[in-house]
Amino acid sequence: MITIVFSLFLLTMLVIVAVGILRTDNLFTAVMLSGIFSLIMAANFFILDAADVALTEAVIGAGISTVLFLGALALTAEYDRSPPVGTWVPLLTSSALGGVIIFATLQAPRLGDPNAVVHKHVAPWYLDRTPELIDVPNVVTAVLASFRGYDTLGEVFVVFIACIGVMSLLGRVRPRRDSIEEDEFDKRTDNLRHHLIPRVVGKMLVPFIVLFGLYVQFHGDFGPGGGFQAGALIAAGVILYSLLEGGPRGRELVPEWFSSLLVALGAFTYTCVGVVSMAMGGRFLDYSVLSHDPVHGQHMGILIIEAGVGMTVTGVMITIFHAFSRRGIR
Amino acid sequence: MEWVYFGTSIAILVTMVLAVVRGLIGPTIFDRVLAVNMFGTKTVLFLAVISFLSGRPDFLDLALAYALINFIGVLAVLLFFQSRGVRRDAEAEREADK
Repeated sequence: MITIVFSLFLLTMLVIVAVGILRTDNLFTAVMLSGIFSLIMAANFFILDAADVALTEAVIGAGISTVLFLGALALTAEYDRSPPVGTWVPLLTSSALGGVIIFATLQAPRLGDPNAVVHKHVAPWYLDRTPELIDVPNVVTAVLASFRGYDTLGEVFVVFIACIGVMSLLGRVRPRRDSIEEDEFDKRTDNLRHHLIPRVVGKMLVPFIVLFGLYVQFHGDFGPGGGFQAGALIAAGVILYSLLEGGPRGRELVPEWFSSLLVALGAFTYTCVGVVSMAMGGRFLDYSVLSHDPVHGQHMGILIIEAGVGMTVTGVMITIFHAFSRRGIR
Repeated sequence: MEWVYFGTSIAILVTMVLAVVRGLIGPTIFDRVLAVNMFGTKTVLFLAVISFLSGRPDFLDLALAYALINFIGVLAVLLFFQSRGVRRDAEAEREADK
């Protein structure tokens, strides 16, 4: 009951904020409101007991995407220009789509209905067999990393390809020097070094954020978390350092070749686990053969592929951030 | 004890609504920045209270992560305005030189 009341409350706020994002033509306002949007969504996921998703949404939605949006905004104009097409066709299309979705929800099962299809299909099997086959307390990790290892491998490659796409757009261009000298610009704008309080407090936080990222990485079998969340947290630590000390120093801490290497290495590690398990007589991504004891093999496989996921996500976030901060110098 | 948590979470939700209202009506940029910051803080508190209300205090991990991450967005906003100000000054200087 409490869940439903809180969810309704938060979802109503979500709709209001979404309309606010659409209505404003000031892009900075839109970025700020989308930060609020992510936080509401994360709180809602949390109320629905989806702790892993809530953690991802909080770190990526409220933290890193705000930074990246502002990086993009620094490269463009501040106000939205109205699109060249008329408003009728988009309005009609989105109303039709919305109508179809609302019509579909009429058939959807009630929230928390034990007879809903999702609770009858494979979910009971996962819940029953996880203690016996994989023996990790967090079933989400077991499903994500082992039962559905193929899907997660696919996700890692999607992230990998997305990174290649973003990099081919942003590129490693040489900064233009027409408006202001690069060094001069750096000294004055690219960092918060002369703001004493943010600098001191921020620098103290960096090691704790990275430590928390490592905890989330290796504790993912037991509590909420795993490679995706950990990767985003560790990248957030590096981004915080780069914001405080400026892009060039951030690129000294984690060079661009290293972050690009991490992106590829993570996906490579994940695939290697699959190939090794084939070589050892199992099927692709069947971790049971990795050790003499099948359950132990599963633990090992999950640990390694989570590390691969973490490396790729960390690398992607840092690479994209560096690309933006380099482009910011104009 | 439960009704205390329940009452607290309702109070926090009301504060969140106030922050959203401020974020939506503005009118200045700083109102919106403050609204986002306040909303983030309230989310941390809300999650902490909810995790006790639902009897799973181990989910405090999440509130901790939120608290750590919130800070970064605000610093990015600060940097954004700082660099925009310098860039505008530089452009104005260039215009004056012409």
